[in-house]
Amino acid sequence: MSRALLLLVGCSATLLVFGLWIPFKALVAQEMLELAWAESQARQSEARPWPWADTWPVAKLDIPEQGVSMIVLEGVHGESLAFGPGRVPGSEGPGAPVVLAGHRDTHFRHLQHLEPGDAVRLQGMDRQWRRYQVTATRVVDSSRESLDTRSLARDTLVLITCYPFDSLDASGTLRYVVEAKPAYGMEQIDTVAAL
Amino acid sequence: MMLLSLLANPVVRPECHHPSLKPLLSTRARRNMIRCAEGISLWLAMVLMLFVHPLYAEARAMESEQPGQLYLVDRKSAWQEPALVLDSRFDVQVTGLLAQTHLTRTFRNTSDVWQEGLFVFPLPEQASVYGLTMTVGERRIVGQLQPRAQARQNYEKAKRAGQKAATVEQNRPNLFTSRIANIAPGEEVTVEVQYQQPVNYRHGEFELRLPTTLTPRYMPGAPVSTPASAWQSGWSLPTTQVADADEISPFTVLPDDVNPGSHRATIQLDIEAGLPVDEVTSPSHPLQVKLEGSRATVAPEQGKILMDRDVIVRWRPADNRAPTAALFRQQWQGEDFLMAMVMPPSTTGQVLRRELLFVIDTSGSMAGESIRQARSALLRGLDTLRPGDRFNVIQFNSQAHALYTQPVPANGHYLARARDYVQDLTADGGTEMAGALSLAMGMDGSESSGHVQQMVFMTDGAVGNESALFDQIRTGLGNRRLFTVAIGSAPNMHFLREAARWGRGQYTAVHSAAEVDKALGKLFAAMEAPVMTDVEVQWPGTVAQPVPAKPGDLFHGQPLVQVVRGSPAEGELTVSGRLPGGRSWRTSLDLASAAPGKGLDRQWARGRIDAVMDSARLAGTEPDEAAIVELSLRHGVMSPFTSFVAIEERVSRPEGESLNQEAVPTLLPAGSQPGMLRYPQTATFGPLLTALGLVGLMFSLAIVMLSRRQSL
Repeated sequence: MSRALLLLVGCSATLLVFGLWIPFKALVAQEMLELAWAESQARQSEARPWPWADTWPVAKLDIPEQGVSMIVLEGVHGESLAFGPGRVPGSEGPGAPVVLAGHRDTHFRHLQHLEPGDAVRLQGMDRQWRRYQVTATRVVDSSRESLDTRSLARDTLVLITCYPFDSLDASGTLRYVVEAKPAYGMEQIDTVAAL
Repeated sequence: MMLLSLLANPVVRPECHHPSLKPLLSTRARRNMIRCAEGISLWLAMVLMLFVHPLYAEARAMESEQPGQLYLVDRKSAWQEPALVLDSRFDVQVTGLLAQTHLTRTFRNTSDVWQEGLFVFPLPEQASVYGLTMTVGERRIVGQLQPRAQARQNYEKAKRAGQKAATVEQNRPNLFTSRIANIAPGEEVTVEVQYQQPVNYRHGEFELRLPTTLTPRYMPGAPVSTPASAWQSGWSLPTTQVADADEISPFTVLPDDVNPGSHRATIQLDIEAGLPVDEVTSPSHPLQVKLEGSRATVAPEQGKILMDRDVIVRWRPADNRAPTAALFRQQWQGEDFLMAMVMPPSTTGQVLRRELLFVIDTSGSMAGESIRQARSALLRGLDTLRPGDRFNVIQFNSQAHALYTQPVPANGHYLARARDYVQDLTADGGTEMAGALSLAMGMDGSESSGHVQQMVFMTDGAVGNESALFDQIRTGLGNRRLFTVAIGSAPNMHFLREAARWGRGQYTAVHSAAEVDKALGKLFAAMEAPVMTDVEVQWPGTVAQPVPAKPGDLFHGQPLVQVVRGSPAEGELTVSGRLPGGRSWRTSLDLASAAPGKGLDRQWARGRIDAVMDSARLAGTEPDEAAIVELSLRHGVMSPFTSFVAIEERVSRPEGESLNQEAVPTLLPAGSQPGMLRYPQTATFGPLLTALGLVGLMFSLAIVMLSRRQSL
């Protein structure tokens, strides 16, 4: 009896630890990424946060209303999304729409509170902060619709995460998409970093 | 916040748990322990509630649909499967050089609302559509050919009135749209399209291609509509260069995304070859073949096939029986039609020094199996270069890039570098073909005097601006000849065939990696030199408008095919031309030996429609719409300006019922990668694992508490 109970407790605790490990890793990794981001900004080159990483910081995303900021990584494979939001490959390059994707249960859970008109800031490798304003949010079915970046206006920022936010199903087909347009005339240079 | 509170949880847990597992002596301590356990389980229950609550919340949230949502979610909050299930059946009858196909599509409405189905589908690039029949239960409604706008108007009217209606429109010579209005819940509507296509005869082998899906096409140019409407649809937007982009870009899904059993096709071929057939093969599907002399009955071995690649069937006449000429005759509405096929002699001329430009498509649509095939095709092409030849390699996606700034001699050093370059090619980005063409056509060939200039273009042809590209090829190519190689399991054969025609070259298709050598070998052999130039065809008496009016140069293994109207099957047909080296060649055929044929009138009409379109392109004007509509209506063959429409008299949809529209997706061609356009997976198993762990812990706590109570 007590052995079976012990087993049950052990299994449940393991599950719980594994479940909590994911948000924990997401939190801790961001701290390490901060260092790598500072380094890549200083050197103006890709800096891997740890030697065996297959991704690297490419930008910093800031949502002032939510009081959160996070380092954006290259690629949207499982490896990069575990540590931070990822930039969809192919959306780099000057003027191209920037498409970022993140896990709805870790970094991008804040997206649910974003509303049209909210501000989002994105810092590139050049230390320049670009201000965006959320213009629309919507839900799409990824099994029926693909993301055509070419149909987006240039300079658009698109944030993607899974939907619904509180679902336990990790393989659902719905996605929550936030579109933001640049808010011109409000750019500012991170003077502290420039010093 | 919830996650943070959970983070604290494991820290609390062990403290209270460890004592609980040890035998305790004092009752006071035991009571304390129970109190602690009760507190924790209550706490855990509350946390669990927080997790379970979203499951209800989710169901509730889904009922209030936001505008702009594209999917249907029912009240049970289950993701609804596509409402329309599609089943196709190809019944192909081959007689000599023409194949008639009855393509039957069944749309089944699995939802509980009335549906309008919209389906964009490919047909063979030389298909002439000549019939549409809609079947609802026992009722058969035969479609009529009408001018396009009128047909569309009639269809919309019937749709609004609640009548069943079906229409087929032509978007591209090989791309059509079918609409079916007012399919009742649970009902099946069958739409049969009848079309014919010429059988491809080359190198002593007959080939028939039945496309079942299309490679998503790239639409160059900037979107013309406002971004606001961009949110409404997953389809491409009209661009400055492709005005109908939104009509020719059906959503492409993986086979797993459609209903099980949907997007399957039954295929049945009856071949009457007219001469003994030796073998029937297919590079795309394993076949079940029944051979009886000149007749063959063919079906795919596995029965229903997935509609994710072109079906290709080839048959070969018995040894030494490969025809060098064929004649067919037909009377239609009192008029005589004749079709002639003449094979030029297979001679080879002197070996010329060549300047070869290899242009390879490395756009996103080529990702996967296609780019591997293209790479090996290109490497095979580099192998055919001889000392004295010159070459260059150009790759293009969103931009074009040339390996060398100008063509270089085919010596060891340059070839080795080119092989390395080709091996490293990867597929990504857009398909800006115009840039690649102008880069290739602008290559300075001043050092190449005395060289024959040729271009080999390897692509899947997945672009929406075919017409502009043909113009560019026609005007900019100069002395060069353009040869095209179709890559992938569902290439845009219309583009590849027409590009080669305007480029005065030839096209070939690679269907699998194993076939690269064979297909390319034939193409490069043909490229050595045209076998026959200045082709003249002399029909007895005066014939009106043969098609094609002016046969182009013929390459090795390629026959001359011409259809004429108004010439009875008597007298002699003379074909003459110039062979390599300047010798002239001439042959005569006795027209009285013509065999009866079928569909020659439609073949002629389609050829005339193409000729009218061509002359407009040459003159740089809009095509003569009235002439095409007249030709099309007279011969019952669909054209870009005419559509078929079938409308049932009786009204089936009650007035109060609303009508939903659903676009039936097409399948992603086999071997190609979904590319960057798919939404990434953006959820973790974290919450699920946490919830399961919490449930387990609560359960064990409850057991512990129960056993403690009992022992007290």
